[in-house]
Amino acid sequence: MASVKDLRERIASLKNTQQITKAMKQVAAAKIRRAETARAQARPYADALGEMLRDLVLAVGSVDHPFMKPGRSGVPPGAVLMAADKGLAGAFNSNVVRAGELYRGEHPQAVFYTVGIKARNAVRRMGQPDHATWPLGARAKIDTARDVAQRVADDFAAGKICEIVLISPKIVTRISQRPELRRLIPIVATEVAGETAPGGHRGAVEFSPSPEFVLSRLLPKYLEFTIFSAMLETDAAFFAAQLLAMSNATDNAGKLIDELTIAMNNARQAAITKELLEIVGGAEALSG
Amino acid sequence: MATTIPFTLITPTKVIFEGDAELVIAVTTEGEEGILPKHAPFLSALRPGVLRANVVEAGASRRLELATGEGFMQALPERVTVLVDRALGFEEVDISQARQEQSEASARQKAAGADGAAFAREQAAIDFAAAKLRLTGHQ
Repeated sequence: MASVKDLRERIASLKNTQQITKAMKQVAAAKIRRAETARAQARPYADALGEMLRDLVLAVGSVDHPFMKPGRSGVPPGAVLMAADKGLAGAFNSNVVRAGELYRGEHPQAVFYTVGIKARNAVRRMGQPDHATWPLGARAKIDTARDVAQRVADDFAAGKICEIVLISPKIVTRISQRPELRRLIPIVATEVAGETAPGGHRGAVEFSPSPEFVLSRLLPKYLEFTIFSAMLETDAAFFAAQLLAMSNATDNAGKLIDELTIAMNNARQAAITKELLEIVGGAEALSG
Repeated sequence: MATTIPFTLITPTKVIFEGDAELVIAVTTEGEEGILPKHAPFLSALRPGVLRANVVEAGASRRLELATGEGFMQALPERVTVLVDRALGFEEVDISQARQEQSEASARQKAAGADGAAFAREQAAIDFAAAKLRLTGHQ
């Protein structure tokens, strides 16, 4: 049985750990709020962009833009894998990485692009040490999103990859996330225009200089913004996962501390009882 | 009082302005375009430039001037929406930084040569830097 001193040291160490996890939990809670605000502030842009895109797709009819056509055949697909920069968030990063590995299982030649240091490390381990990668947090996310979008669009246009998918965490509920895979390019016109009934069109809209031209400007922005909003979602999802993980860690540390405290009290009581018995036994031996 | 139209100016990170405007002038790829209330439905791509608008706040008319990045302008009979990458006000512009950006982008554009996409990208950077300088009266 462990000595009282050993137990006391373990309890002290656990209390320190618990303080750290508790602090991280509070920080995560504050950061969720900030991440959610950023997502809310991006929503008006998303709504307006979606509306313009629908108008355009409906106006153009058959779309002749490289982003809306299948890519070159015979080249591998490209995948943007998005995770967090840091860990200590339960299975958050490993879930995304597993989705990336599954994709790689189906498409062994897939070219990976990564956002987030944990995604970068995972893809390096998969055997693509010098793939294009960006951290999730280091710079303003919109600038990073622009770089990512430009890079994948350039590679797509150059015929290096035949399609682009995005694998990133999606928020399911406030406390649960799961990785989601969606196709970024080619963009399917019916998916974009799908939500509006044919009659919902506003009629004669004047496009300057032409709907095709405006669409050719809008599609890269749409790609950029989709990546940006996925980054915001990854950020918010990460802090939600970290909040949960740190909350559980704090609870578990508390339970362990309780158990060890009982064990320590038992051990101390056993030692006292033993000493008393020795004294009583000694006194009896003397008087006897 | 002049008639007004609801006007929103949105960037990916923020709604810069939401209110009523008498007039919105933006630089489209085809040149400057002014939108008055009751404009016919209209959708256009914007070049980086200086966006100007006469907005009405608390009954008083005010001039809104911003250096904006690439974007789009949608005019409908009942509202005007402008989406841009970035929008900077007068006091947010760093003049020496804008000058530096302009010369760096010019150099990169020369280096890019005939590559159409890279050329256009640097042109946008040059135009945005120029817009910042024009907004602050340095060009």
